[in-house]
Amino acid sequence: MKKEYLTFIPDIKDLIEGQEVKITIKDLTPGPRKYDARIVKSILSSDPRRLPDGDILYVRSWTGMLYPQRWAIKIVEELEETEAGLPHGETVGANK
Amino acid sequence: MAFRDFREFIDTLDKTEDVVHIKQEVDWDLEIGAIGRRAYEMQAPAVLFEKIKDYPEGFRIFGGSLGTFRRVSIAMGLAPETPVKELYAEYDRRINQPIKPVIVDDGPCKQNIIIGDDVDLYSLSTPYIHEGDGGRYIGTWAFEVTQDPDTKWNNWGMYRFMVHNKRLIVGWPRYSSHLGMMLHRKYVPQKRQMPIALVLGADPLCHMVATAPLPINADEADYAGGLRQKPVELVKCETSDLLVPANSEIVIEGEVYPDRTAQEGPFAEYPGYRMEGAKDGVLWRVKAITYRNSPIFTMISLGVPPDDSSIAASLTAALAMKRRLIKHGIPITEVYVPPYGVTHIAVVGVKSGGNDVAKQIKDVLTARRADVNKIMVVDDDVDPFDFDQVIHAFATKCHPTRGIFCEEVEAPRGNALTPCYTAQERRAYKGAIALFDCTWPPERNKMNEVPVKNSFDTMFPKELKEKVVANWESFGFKEKK
Repeated sequence: MKKEYLTFIPDIKDLIEGQEVKITIKDLTPGPRKYDARIVKSILSSDPRRLPDGDILYVRSWTGMLYPQRWAIKIVEELEETEAGLPHGETVGANK
Repeated sequence: MAFRDFREFIDTLDKTEDVVHIKQEVDWDLEIGAIGRRAYEMQAPAVLFEKIKDYPEGFRIFGGSLGTFRRVSIAMGLAPETPVKELYAEYDRRINQPIKPVIVDDGPCKQNIIIGDDVDLYSLSTPYIHEGDGGRYIGTWAFEVTQDPDTKWNNWGMYRFMVHNKRLIVGWPRYSSHLGMMLHRKYVPQKRQMPIALVLGADPLCHMVATAPLPINADEADYAGGLRQKPVELVKCETSDLLVPANSEIVIEGEVYPDRTAQEGPFAEYPGYRMEGAKDGVLWRVKAITYRNSPIFTMISLGVPPDDSSIAASLTAALAMKRRLIKHGIPITEVYVPPYGVTHIAVVGVKSGGNDVAKQIKDVLTARRADVNKIMVVDDDVDPFDFDQVIHAFATKCHPTRGIFCEEVEAPRGNALTPCYTAQERRAYKGAIALFDCTWPPERNKMNEVPVKNSFDTMFPKELKEKVVANWESFGFKEKK
C-alpha cells in the first residue's frame, strides 16, 4: 500500500525531478497524526510510472490550490525537523 | 457580570439559545471547519462539538464565541439585543477603566499537566479547518502571551499558529505585530529563545482584547479586567514566568527559536481569502501542555465575514482608532469599522470636515501600521454606523478628484494580509492607503454654497415632524426604522 503525502510549493518549477531535493511534506496517513510535517531529502517524479517504488505526492500551490497531477516521491532521508533561518526571513530579506 | 470561566459563558448561551450542541461524532479533519463556516454564513448560533473522531470522550471543540454582536453583548453581560452603537459605547467606557489582574497559585487549567518528552500535540483535537490549509491550526481563537525581557510588558495577541509535528508549532504573527516586534528587537539579535504561551478557552473577553490594537507596553490583561469589570485571575506557567488566565481550558507553553524556522501556511485568513504561505514561519518548541478535565478547544472557521474575527475587531479596532484620534485633538464624533470591511475600511465621523481634517485622520490612523487601507470621513449629519447613509455621503459629497487621496505605504507599515496587494508587496509589508473625504469643504459658505440635504430630518419644521411621528401608526404604518 503506497503512502500518501502532501507538499506546498511557491512555484511548480521548484519541484525538480530525478535528483535528490529537500522538501517539506505532510503525512496524509489517516488518524490523529494526519498532516504531521517532515523535512526530507527525496526523489520526485511527475510521472509515477517512472518511480514505481515511490509513494504518492499531492502538490498544492502556495495559496493551497491542488494541482490535478499526482506526483511520486521516494524518501531518501529524514532531515532535521527544523531548518536554520530567521523567523520572518522572507520579510527581513525583502526589506534589506 | 463577569463569567467565572468559558463554561459559564456557554451556560449563558444555552439560556439565550445562542449555542447548538452537536452530540454526534464529527471529524476534526474538515467537517468541523465546514459546519463552523456554514454556521457563520447562516448567522446561526455558536457550536459546541461534543464528540470528535479519533479523540477521547470529553475532548470538545467550540466555534463562534463572538461571531455575532449579539454574542459579544452576552459576553459583556449586556442584553443580547443591545444595539451596536450602545455596545460600542459600553466597550469604550469599560476599556478606559482597566483593572489589574490578580495572581493566584493554582487554577483549573492545571488539572492535567504534561511536560517535556511526554508532550504530544496530537493528543489535542486540533482541527484541519479548510481544504488546502497548510496544516492543523491550533491558534485561531487562541491568544499568545509573551513578555518583553527588559520592560516586563506582557503582550497578549491573537496570531495564527499551526501544528508542525508532535512537539513543534509554527505560525505567522505578522512581522509588524507586537509579538513580531518583540521577537525581532529583544530576542533574535541576542539569539535568545522567547518564552510563549498559547491560551485556548479563556473568558471570551480575554480573547477579544487580544485582538485589540492597544498601545505598546499596555498589558492586555488589565484591559480584559476592565471589560469584565473584575480582575482576571492569572497563574504562572509551568516552564516559564509567563502568566496565563487560571480558568483557561488549555495552555500550551514553549519557546520561540531565534534562529530556526519551518514552512507555515497557507491559511484561509480573516479578510476572507487564503493567501500564500510562509517559507520562514515563527517556530516554537512546546515544553508543556496543561488543560482542564474534558477540555474545550476554541476555534474559528475563518473566512468571509461575519465571524468572531471581523465582529471582535469591529469594536476593538474602531475604538482604538477613536482613542488615537481624540488623543491627537481631531474633532471626531464616532469611528465605525463595519464587520464586512474586515478592518480594511473605517468610517470616521467629524464635527467639522474638509481635506485638512481628513488628511490628519489618515496620518494618525496609518502612522505605525496601515492595517486599514480605506478611510471614509463623513460629516456629523451622517451616522457612521448606518452604511446606507455612508454610501449616500460617499456618492454625493466625495469629489472624484478633490475628495480622494491615494498614497503608497512604505514597509513595514503595510498590511501583509490585504488581498489586493501582490504577494511581493505583502511579504515586504508594503501597501497603500485611500482616503475618501465625504465632507463639505469648510470654506464653502453654508448659506449659499453648501447644498441643502433633503431628508425628513432636515426639510421640515420641528413641530410638524413631531406631529407626523406622533400620528405615524394612526396613519396605518406599522413599522419604524
